[in-house]
Amino acid sequence: MFTLCPAEQVPADEPLRVVLDDGHAVAVYSWNGAYYCTDDLCTHGEASLAEGYVENGEIFCPFHMGSFCISTGEPRAAPCSVPIRSYSVIEQDGQLLIER
Amino acid sequence: MATQAEQIDKAPGRWARKYPELGQEPLPVTPYIDPEYYEKEKARIFKKQWLYVALEREVPEVGSYKVRRLDCADTSVIIIRGKDNVIRAFHNACSHRGNTVVTETGQETYGRNRAGVVTCRFHGWVYDAKGALVNVPQEERFYSCFDKAENGLTEVHCDTWAGFIFVNVDAGPVQPLNEFLGGYADHFGGFDFAACDYGFTYHTTLNCNWKVASDAFAEAYHVDTIHAGSFPNVFEGPIEDVQLFGPHRTCSVRLQVDNLPQTPIGDLANQRSRGSLAAQGNASSLPPTLNPNREADWAFELSVLFPSVLLHVSEGIWFTHQFWPISHDKTLWEGKYYLNKPRTHSELWGFERAMVLQRNAWLEDTATMEDTYRAMLSGAKKVQHLQDEEILIRHNCKVVDDYVHG
Repeated sequence: MFTLCPAEQVPADEPLRVVLDDGHAVAVYSWNGAYYCTDDLCTHGEASLAEGYVENGEIFCPFHMGSFCISTGEPRAAPCSVPIRSYSVIEQDGQLLIER
Repeated sequence: MATQAEQIDKAPGRWARKYPELGQEPLPVTPYIDPEYYEKEKARIFKKQWLYVALEREVPEVGSYKVRRLDCADTSVIIIRGKDNVIRAFHNACSHRGNTVVTETGQETYGRNRAGVVTCRFHGWVYDAKGALVNVPQEERFYSCFDKAENGLTEVHCDTWAGFIFVNVDAGPVQPLNEFLGGYADHFGGFDFAACDYGFTYHTTLNCNWKVASDAFAEAYHVDTIHAGSFPNVFEGPIEDVQLFGPHRTCSVRLQVDNLPQTPIGDLANQRSRGSLAAQGNASSLPPTLNPNREADWAFELSVLFPSVLLHVSEGIWFTHQFWPISHDKTLWEGKYYLNKPRTHSELWGFERAMVLQRNAWLEDTATMEDTYRAMLSGAKKVQHLQDEEILIRHNCKVVDDYVHG
């Protein structure tokens, strides 16, 4: 299990970039009352998805405006075509955790 | 002992006496109608001098950008605030095949990208706010001679003063902005422009030379006649406090206090909020350089920030007229008027009334410009005759001519 951050740190309106203990970067989302997590690096360009925009459960990449489902990691809008890894988020004592 | 007021030269011809180098002769019409003269203005002024293009508050956050079209310099510029909070400016031209990186929706285009980047919508080249090319789709298919590091955006000189952002598109070294502004910056720098955060804008394209439009606002002589409807006899007196600062210039315009319109609605509005120039104000927002003697008839400062911005400052009000040449016979005029954000509904109502009054005056102003230009094109008149109170126009003609022939 990897600890992400306290749940209260994740803004409601924009993603948060978190670097895990092993150096891997993920993007954490608070959307519609639940928490989600995907890899941070877009599979298309070299963008940090945490600098993108969340709309209707999709993360829009700031470089080319392609998108992924924040729950499943499936690409939703071109030019993104390769899924992004997504993680189940567990909330425990106010902390967010993922398994990978 | 003579008072200070008695020592001030008030007799006709006083500005010619103060600035004899500007002359008194009629001035030729040619610089207004000659396409070749305009090409020199472009090359030697608009492509070489600092131009006011944005307010800092128009790019408030990291990744905020504005694109300003500059027909007068054959380009458009991206003004963007980076992750380091520095505002930089670049030609809006992609290094790939020259498309505009930000697609423009008009003369001014605004946007923001949280990542602090702009992306060309043609092939997806991505540039950061320092101009670096950070992503090229299918980069591996370019040849070995292509180097991403050498193909960032083309930066233009960018600097700020008092919340105003200026660019200079000259590719070489340029005069520093503070040196270019000189005493003009000292004269106005104490005014809190950012405090006026509420306003309105009008713009239109006029079939006239940019100097015809600029001249029409750069004197108060016209007010008595053209604004007889909107400001009857309110500004009929002479201008005061003329000062020249290199290529820039300023003066103060005075109210005829006894002639201020007395109407039930106007009185109510002015009691609640001073949104109009045609109302007495105090000096709570003015630095010591503006209305230094705190005279009751001081209405506003009328200044020209070379080459083509008229900046007006008054108590709790400032506004600009900006004249963007599109060609020798076409000009984009933009009027932008700023006030303190209203705190009550009655203040808002007073401001709305002031805006309507101002709109009417600007319509009266702009209505003359195309007629003036058509008459100039007739060739019937080779010169224009300026009186002493039109000294700011005379100064502009001389400064422009010095650049064109310099």
